[in-house]
Amino acid sequence: MLASCSSTKPLYSWYNYERATYQYSKKNTEELQLKLLKEYERIIHHQKGSRGMVPPGMYAEYGYLLCKMGNPTEGLLFLKEEIKAYPESEQYISRIIKQLEQ
Amino acid sequence: MLLFCALLPFSAYAQNTRGEQYPEMYNEKPTSIVVMPSINTTNFVEAKEYFYTTLYQPLVEKGYYVFSPYLTMEMFQTESAYDSERFLDGDLSQFRHVLGADAVMFTIIKTWSRNSLSGYLTVGVEFILRSTLTGKTLYSREGTVSVNTSVQSTGGGLFGALVDLAATAISTATTDKIVAGRKCTAYVLSDFPAGRYSPEFEKDKEYKAKENHFKETVR
Repeated sequence: MLASCSSTKPLYSWYNYERATYQYSKKNTEELQLKLLKEYERIIHHQKGSRGMVPPGMYAEYGYLLCKMGNPTEGLLFLKEEIKAYPESEQYISRIIKQLEQ
Repeated sequence: MLLFCALLPFSAYAQNTRGEQYPEMYNEKPTSIVVMPSINTTNFVEAKEYFYTTLYQPLVEKGYYVFSPYLTMEMFQTESAYDSERFLDGDLSQFRHVLGADAVMFTIIKTWSRNSLSGYLTVGVEFILRSTLTGKTLYSREGTVSVNTSVQSTGGGLFGALVDLAATAISTATTDKIVAGRKCTAYVLSDFPAGRYSPEFEKDKEYKAKENHFKETVR
């Protein structure tokens, strides 16, 4: 009974994240990569979820993809943004940053 | 018979609260979760990926920090951690030391069957969340979920029924299994205690818990 009174508004807006990541994981084309980048940008810049925050992992995934696309300066900034937003990610994200900086 | 009927509503309300059913979740209050690649005991090889990637989003929506499966996947593959079976009953402290994860989520896909005519995809699955600190099981649910993937036309009559039947067969054959996996996961996790980023955090302790073993149909 109590559960039925709980808020159902999503914490975050995801847009077409699931489909875009799945498609890109199946087919690594430039077109799908750009599509995925656009999804990350929408999630990061147009959050309408109840928390008003970027979901866990999104800065990191976006930053990692930017690094892989040959834009390490911007990519590393987004990876560091993940740590700022979610300090519990520091151990893991710092490890990724270290690997990318080598 | 009358007595049975009178007792029925009472028994429906005599179930545990989430706090009683998952006491360790409320004791340890994990913040971060790493999702392990699913353990697939079926012959349907692809089932593994359908579950692995669909767990992340619903767990995040429950209020947890979930390590991105797309980032951890690479690490699991390079560090031979892709076989989750090895960790199911084993020591999980390395996930705390390397990732900083409070808990590890395992999924075991036990059955996977599709009925092209009825449009039902039936999946037998078990979810287990274990602590990296104490090794204790914090949450577990097991059961069978049937996802109805049938197509309903707006037209009626015999022709409408035939169109529905044909469309259902096509839909089931080409069904976006990611959607089916997500529906199944969403059902199982509907009883998952909320994490610290959710407004329900700790408030849901008094909510009535669903059964640990379930058999359910979702659309």
